[in-house]
Amino acid sequence: MKLAELQMRFQAGIVEDDNAILASIADSRRTDRATLFEVYHDAYRLRLAEFLSNDFPVLRVHIGEEAFGRLVEDYIESAPSRQPNARWYGTRLPDFMQETAPWRRNRSAIDLARFERALSDAFDAPDAPISTIDALREICDEDWPRLAFEFHPSVRILDLENGTAQIYAALAEEEEAPATQQGEEAFIFWRTDGQSFYRPVADDERMAMMEARRGKIFGDICALLVFQRNDTGVTQRVAGFLSQWFADGLVTRLSLSD
Amino acid sequence: MLERIRNTYPIVMHGVSMSIASTAPLDFDYLRALKSLASRFQPAWISDHLCWTGVHGVNLHDLLPVPYTLEALDHVVDRIRRVQDFLGRRLAIENVSSYVTFAESEMDEWTFIRELAERADCWLLLDVNNVFGSSFNHSFDQASFIGAVPADRVVQLHLAGHSEAGTHKIDTHDQPICEEVWSLYHEVCPRFGSISTMIERDDNFPPFDELMAELDRARAVAACARIPAQGAAA
Repeated sequence: MKLAELQMRFQAGIVEDDNAILASIADSRRTDRATLFEVYHDAYRLRLAEFLSNDFPVLRVHIGEEAFGRLVEDYIESAPSRQPNARWYGTRLPDFMQETAPWRRNRSAIDLARFERALSDAFDAPDAPISTIDALREICDEDWPRLAFEFHPSVRILDLENGTAQIYAALAEEEEAPATQQGEEAFIFWRTDGQSFYRPVADDERMAMMEARRGKIFGDICALLVFQRNDTGVTQRVAGFLSQWFADGLVTRLSLSD
Repeated sequence: MLERIRNTYPIVMHGVSMSIASTAPLDFDYLRALKSLASRFQPAWISDHLCWTGVHGVNLHDLLPVPYTLEALDHVVDRIRRVQDFLGRRLAIENVSSYVTFAESEMDEWTFIRELAERADCWLLLDVNNVFGSSFNHSFDQASFIGAVPADRVVQLHLAGHSEAGTHKIDTHDQPICEEVWSLYHEVCPRFGSISTMIERDDNFPPFDELMAELDRARAVAACARIPAQGAAA
């Protein structure tokens, strides 16, 4: 048998439980070929389950061992791993939960999975030099309206069911988790000094950050906020966002749009 | 962190994802990233395993065994040469623990490895625990394996613990090094001269003192064989 055919059969034996490969394997002096092949078959599932347990430890506690075991089994059977790096194997888990019964009915579990994924993604995002607030001081008053921002590659914004972050924080500390509540709240995730962080953001800051990440200039963002808030407190609010963005290390570059 | 370590110590890069024996195309995205990392950290060498990890875009996250056939030998030799040309350096190829024997095999594992090293002009990494585990799993003579390995091509020895499954031994890197592996290490040290040893431990970590005791023992064995100790634990 050609090497390519043998490898295809070996893989099918692991992923699809197809036992055609056993015809190419000899029994050992101590045991039969099926028992020996099982080492590879079982190791595949055990490794993938371990990757998921490492990446979603709080989700595991939240839904319990039994349910997490079923979720892991469903996920593994849904598609083989296509990533050389184990880190990325579980990246589709929250989407899989959202698309698949019975998990799609469990919003708090899905959002907790998204929360843990965001922390991991922030941690693994590429490096980029951080800009300090001094860069803002160099901008002339008349240039402020055409100011554009670039954000650190680790920054993510998620809309989560109310209470998701509290569940995460409680379970991570091995405390009892509160129940989630109706409605959503926005969180940003990012990495500074090799550590992932998160914090809630109010609607106006969320919108400002979303628009800034899309490339909208400062003048347009302020106009949107004035329209949204319908008051004159926008200047103070925006000053607050900006200083927090720099303090958190979210901004990598300022530029002036033509 | 790696930069800080590299500033103080020499490093080697040891991979599990090159899939050098796969019939899938070489992953040049991976190789480009590897080359870039090597250029940044200047490892003493880059090693990976004589195995494949998947075909048709699937990754099984395991060091899968190769049938010891002439076809597989030609295939792996060609791939090692191409990778070495791309990286601009020799690879060190490691023997794996295996659990199945292919009916298709036409030669012993050690003959395959010796031929591969000569024809691809690569270095070898000899995992002592894998020789021990595979010799048990496939009932072959360890001395035949060790004696066939071209000593001048071996750049490093690996030591590790394994799990006992009764009828076979599984390379799990989560146990202390067993006495039989220590004994084999004692036998092989004089043959391979003054080269480094790596202790592999991936899980079920004992107190640090116990890991250091294994390293001290490896150094003592190497010293007995009149080899300057260059060991490291990982």
